[in-house]
Parts: sequence; structure tokens; C-alpha cells
Amino acid sequence: MSLIRIIPLQFAHFDILEQMLSTISNRYGVECGLSSHHMDLNRFFDPVRSQYNANEIIKELLPMASGEDKIVGVTELDLFIPVLRYIFGQAYLGGSAALISAHRLDNRRYGLNDDPKIYAERLLKTILHEIGHTFGLKHCFQPGCTMVSTTYVEELDQKSDLLCKSCHLELKRLRD
Amino acid sequence: MDNNLSILIVDDELSVRDSLSNWFLEDGYNVDVAEDAKVALKKLEAFNFHIVLVDIKLPGMDGLELNRRIKSINEDIVVIIMTAFASVDSAVEALKDGAYDYVCKPFDPDAVSHLIRNASQSIQLSQENLSLQERIKSLTNIEAVIGGSEAILKVLEQVRQVADTDSTVIIRGDSGTGKELIAKAIHMNSPRRFFPMVTVHCGAIAETLMESELFGHERGAFTGAQYARKGKFEMADGATLFLDEISTISMKMQIELLRVLETKRFTRVGGNREYKSDFRVICATNRDLKSMVDAGEFREDLYYRLNVFAISIPPLRERKEDIKILAEHFIRLYAEQMNKPTKYIGKRALKALENYPFPGNVRELENLIERAIVIGTGDTVRLNDLPLDKYTSQPTWESIQEMESHHIQSILEKYDWNISRAAKALGVDRVTLYSKIKKYKIESPK
Repeated sequence: MSLIRIIPLQFAHFDILEQMLSTISNRYGVECGLSSHHMDLNRFFDPVRSQYNANEIIKELLPMASGEDKIVGVTELDLFIPVLRYIFGQAYLGGSAALISAHRLDNRRYGLNDDPKIYAERLLKTILHEIGHTFGLKHCFQPGCTMVSTTYVEELDQKSDLLCKSCHLELKRLRD
Repeated sequence: MDNNLSILIVDDELSVRDSLSNWFLEDGYNVDVAEDAKVALKKLEAFNFHIVLVDIKLPGMDGLELNRRIKSINEDIVVIIMTAFASVDSAVEALKDGAYDYVCKPFDPDAVSHLIRNASQSIQLSQENLSLQERIKSLTNIEAVIGGSEAILKVLEQVRQVADTDSTVIIRGDSGTGKELIAKAIHMNSPRRFFPMVTVHCGAIAETLMESELFGHERGAFTGAQYARKGKFEMADGATLFLDEISTISMKMQIELLRVLETKRFTRVGGNREYKSDFRVICATNRDLKSMVDAGEFREDLYYRLNVFAISIPPLRERKEDIKILAEHFIRLYAEQMNKPTKYIGKRALKALENYPFPGNVRELENLIERAIVIGTGDTVRLNDLPLDKYTSQPTWESIQEMESHHIQSILEKYDWNISRAAKALGVDRVTLYSKIKKYKIESPK
């Protein structure tokens, strides 16, 4: 029986993660739990960019997955990959590990009032999206589907936390 | 969402290659990577990539030179240059050498997605454009003109010779010989093929309307002219003007036409402004224009203006060897359209067609075959399916054996080569029938 393990890495809002476990579990039909793990992320800090290298962090997460388990790291740090200015998340397509940054999901970053509900929704959608990649799902062009590629929070707000029908069928095919 | 496009990422940094390939894999592209220009060129030789992302700074051959090499291999490949802000000038240099665009590292995720999406659309458009051009070519390819006789091959050779030029062509042939098809073949193989062939059926337009039809008219030029309208000369700008049945136009129109053909300038009916139009003229006639000139029915000056390159299409009765090829072509065409199993033409039916004089030429043959497929059953067009009983060749056999051979063949055709039924009708057993078929070397049309 496979398992999705959410690991907070310098992420203080355990309560938000706990509240979304059952939703994640329902969406992918896999048990989902929180795990704690200490990792010194300072090693991955790039002083030129003042950001953390997601490629290196995700490599550290990979050995933690056993069998068909999925490891999902969640952090409040600002992540980058060498060619891109920032990322919301990263995953190994059809692999075992994903990494999510909540840094740019917070309204306060854009000069707006704090909105914990929207923050939690954005985080859930990003986690579901990256887990989708670990199951082998690719980006989708069906408006509203969780697997639509997003690069701005406005786009994140426009999509739902549900897979469209074709992604649902594709997920079933991939898992069969 | 799977994507049919393939991307090659050329960068010496492993982290860049990994990050980008992962990014594009999530978008459903087929992705491969190369660490330098040498490896990239090898991969490009082995596989057809649509998009290549090239880092401007590479060990050995740099990105600019790689871009030039890629363009010399296949200029349709979209090359996107990846550069640091410091080397934007070099990236602009690459654009002059045919690169599609450049991006500065690190990219905005949205920018790179948009760039690839735009490049994909541009690739799809150019592929669509190519396939449409191929389709246009195939619509009236010279090879689409059916026939194997020496006469028709000569016509096709003339079409090839004249198509590329801008010369006026006059096509002579009896009604139904395919003059418009030959005109289309000339147009579609000429440099004007991407413009339409504007056709004027001179015989079908009333004398009073011809002027307005050809020259167009201004608003209020005559009663009922509520709007200004372009004429065929104007519509044929850049294209081919096909004047069908040119012999039917009046003497007055002949003068007007001659003037326009010589100057390529005209004014609309009721207007003052002079328009210029660049068109090539192809005209067709089923009458002998020279004898019309001799009889004073056609202007000599217009005749010589039109008679630059003449193509004469012989009537079907003078090229009987084309009848079988044409009949088989129309059988395929109509059987497919009507979803019928007809594939062959019986020997007696073919003989009757070959004996028929075809006053209506290919058009009449086409109609006969269409009718035969409507009423026929089975996979062969038989004599009974054609209204040509009196054109069946009369038996001229002298020996009993010859008569027996023809009789067996007609019975076999009648029963669609069902040996049991044919043998029963002939009053012999199947073995006897088989031996007779072998003896007389009777062949099934299939």
C-alpha cells in the first residue's frame, strides 16, 4: 500500500497541512500523512539570487521515499531552479518526490491583506498539482483542472483543486 | 496533455539541462539534451527536432555557430538562444542568422512557456501551410489529367512548357474534352497558382451584362446598380483570367477586350478612374477561330493577340486508347462516392464504349459511367449497365471455336464470373467450364 508523506521543511503552519491531508488522500486514493524530518536548508541557499536551489533539495528528498511512496516537501522558503526566476513547486515526473514553496502564495507578498483561507487553497492546489506529476500526469489545458500549469497566483486562484475528466482517466490508466 | 513536438536542450550545465527538460516534460513535450554543439549536431542528424534551445556560451563551438549549422541542416527548425543579460548583443546577432528568439537566463517561467507555445504555433502553422500547398498542387496536378494516348501526352507536354510563362494560351477542343481542366492545370502549375483562376463563361452571360461583368461598374452606373462592383478583370489581378467559349462574344466586346489585353488598363462602367490589373489570359473555344476570322465573325487583331500559344485537345473518338483508363478512373471515383463495390469494366462493355463515337467526349463518358454505377450491381460494369446496345460489335466469327470462346466469356461476365452459375447456364459441368476457360485463355477482368 503506497503512502503520500508530507514533510514540512521550515514550514510553520502544521495545522494547515493537517487539514488538507484527507482531501489529498481522497483525490489520489492513497493514504496521506505528515512526517517530520530535519534538513538544514541553508546548504542550498544561493547568495547571488537570495533563493534556495530546489533541484538540490529535491535530490535530498528522493532517498526518503521507499517503494511506491511519494515524498512531498513543503517550505516557506523562496525556491528557484537554475534557469527559472522562481517556482511554486517541482516534482519528478512519474517519480517519488515533489517540493513546494509557499513563499509566493501569501497575499501579503503582493501588498494585500492576509487571507489565510486563500493561502490554504493555493497551497492545496500546488501540492495536488505536484503530486499529480509524481503519478505521471503532465500539464493539462482544460481550464480549471488542477494540472493546468500556473506561474502566477492569479492563475492559481482561477483553477480548482480537482482533476478534469481526462486527467482523471489518465491517472487511472497510469496507475493500472 | 501530450504534445507531438520535440525539443532539444543544448547547455553545458547539467542543472540547466535537468531543470529545463523536467519543465518541458511536465508540459508533455518530447525532450532530449546535449552538453555541447558536437553532441547536439549528432542528435539533430539522427532525429527530427522541432525546437532547439541553445545556450550562447558552449565549450568548443559556441551557440551562434551552432545556430548557423542547424539552419544549414534544416531551416525549419526553431532555434531559441539562451543568454545572460551581458551577451544580449550576441543573441541579437543570432536572430539575424535565423534564430527564432532569445531568452535571458534566468527566465521568468511564464516567459519561457509563452515563447515555446508561440514557437509551437508557428511550427504548426508552417506545417499546415506546407500541407495546404501540397493539397493545392495535388488538386490540379498535371498528372491529374487522365490519359495515356500519344495525343493527350502531347497536350500535357505543352501544359508543362507554357505553365511557367505568362503567355496567353488558347485551348481548342470539342465540347466536353476538358478544356477547363487543362486551363486549371496551367494555372495551378504557374507562379500565379496562389491566386484564384477567375473564370468567365462568355457564352452564358447576356450581351448586355458582359461589359459590367468584365469591367465592373460604379454605383449608379445604370438602373439597379445600387453598389459599386468589381469586374472580372479587377478580380483577376495577380491571377489567371479564364475566358471560356471566347468565340461567343460580340464584335463590340471584342474591341473592348483587345484594348484591355493590350494595356491591362480599364475603367469601370460609369466611372472615370482608370484601374490597372496584372492578369494572365487563358481562353478556350470549341470553334475554329481562324475560320471565324476568315468569315468576318471574329476580329483578326484579337485572334492574333490571343493565339500566342495554342493547345488543341483531340476528341475522345480520336484517342480510343484513353477510354479504358478514363472509364476505370470514373469507376473508382463514383464507386467511392456512392459507396458501391464496382471496381472493373467488363470486356464487352469496354468494347461497346470503344465503338461509340462520343459526341459529348469525356463529359459524356463520365456520365455514362456514373449512370452505370447507379444502376449496376456487383463489382463489374457490364454491357447491360450501359445504354449502348447498338454499339456492341457484331460477331464476325468464322470458326465454331471462336464463337464458343466469345459465348463463354459473355456468360461468365453475365454471372459475374460465378463458375457454378455460368456452368449451369451453359449446360456443362464446372470442370468442363474450367478447361474451356484455360483452352481459350479467357481472363477475368479482376
